[in-house]
Amino acid sequence: MNILVLYAHPVESSFNAGLHRTIVERLSAAGHVVDDCDLYAEDFDPRLTRAERLGYHDARGPDDAVAGYVERLQRAEAMVLSFPVWNYGYPAILKGFFDRVFLPGVSFKLVDGKVQPTLHNIRKMAAITTYGGSRFRAMLMGDPPRKIVKRMLRATIKPGAPVSYLAHYSMNLSTDETRNAFMARVAATMDAF
Amino acid sequence: MRVLVVYCHPVPESYCAAIRDTALDVLKGRGWDVRLLDLYAENFDPVMSCEARRFYNDRAPDDPALRPHFELLRWAEAILFIYPTWWYGLPAMLKGWFDRVWATDIAFKLPAGKGRITSLMRHVTKVGVITTCGAPTWWSVIVGQPGRKTILRGMRALCATRCRTFFLAHYLMDSSTPKSRAAFLAKVRARLERF
Repeated sequence: MNILVLYAHPVESSFNAGLHRTIVERLSAAGHVVDDCDLYAEDFDPRLTRAERLGYHDARGPDDAVAGYVERLQRAEAMVLSFPVWNYGYPAILKGFFDRVFLPGVSFKLVDGKVQPTLHNIRKMAAITTYGGSRFRAMLMGDPPRKIVKRMLRATIKPGAPVSYLAHYSMNLSTDETRNAFMARVAATMDAF
Repeated sequence: MRVLVVYCHPVPESYCAAIRDTALDVLKGRGWDVRLLDLYAENFDPVMSCEARRFYNDRAPDDPALRPHFELLRWAEAILFIYPTWWYGLPAMLKGWFDRVWATDIAFKLPAGKGRITSLMRHVTKVGVITTCGAPTWWSVIVGQPGRKTILRGMRALCATRCRTFFLAHYLMDSSTPKSRAAFLAKVRARLERF
C-alpha cells in the first residue's frame, strides 16, 4: 500500500522521533511504499491564510501553496499519524495540516450546507501518540485527540476502514520498561498493518 | 474586571470579527478593562521550536516575542476566546498559542518527581468560548466537542478552582442566514452581560 506517515515532533532525540523511525522502518520492511511526511523537517506552515479562507470553497490550481500536500494525501491508501499530545490536542503544526490540506473536494464536499466525507482513498489508519498525563486525566478532559481520530477521522475515510489508536499515557512518569513495551507494541502493529 | 479577549480568525471582515466587535462593545460597556489579542493580526508563530521543546519541562521559553503574551496571562482575571471551529477543534494558530504561551513557569510549575503540577493561573476566575462551527450540534457532540473540552476542561483546570465558564456556538455555519447570525449576536450580547 501507499502509506502517508504524518509526523509532528520537533526534537530528533525524542521518544516520538524513535516511534516515528520504527513506524517508517517496519512499514517499509513489510513492503509498503511509505511517504514520510515530517512536518517539522518540511517546515510546514500550519496557519490557514486569509486568501485560503476566502477561497476555501473554490477549486485550487496546481500552483496552490498546499497542492503538493493535497496530491500526497490523495495518492495515499493508508495513513499513519505520529505525534505527541500537547494540551489535550495535536501540536499546532499537525492541526494546521487538517485546517489547510483537508479541503472541500479532497476530504469532504458540502451538499446543501452539510458535510459529506470523501477521503475514501484512505482504507486504513493508525495513530501513534504519547500523553504527558495519565489516561484517567485525559478521560476527565474528554480525551479530544482520541475522539478526533476514532470518530471524526474514522467518519472521513473509507466507511468501515479499520482505525487503531495506540497511546503511551503518563509519559512524565515513564520508564525504559514502559517505553520499550510501547515501542514493541507499535512495531508489532506496523508489522501487521 | 480585567478581561483578555483572544481572537483568532484570518479574515478581518469575517462573522467572527462581528462577534469580536459585539463582545468588545459589551465588555467595555460594563466598564471592564479589556485587552484584545488578535493572533492573525500579530502574525503569531504557533509552531513550538526544537529548542523550546528541549527545555519545555525545565524552564519558561526565552523567545522575547512571547514576553507580551506572558504579561497578558499574568494580567488577565477573565479570558474570552473567539474563534472558528475547524475540524472540530481550535485553529492551529490558537492551538499553538496554548502550546507556546501556557508554558512551564508561566502557566504552571512541574513537580520534581511524582506529584501534581502547580498552577500559576489561579487568578483567572472566568473563561468563555464563543465559536462558529460548520457541523451540526449532534455530530459535534458525538465527536466530543474537542475545541470546547481543550479549553473548558483542559486549560480551565489551571484556572481558579471555582472558575466560571460558558460556551456559545453557532452551529451549521455553512447554512446560516442573516437572521440566524443576528440572533446569535444577540445571544452573545446577552451572555456577556452576565459573564
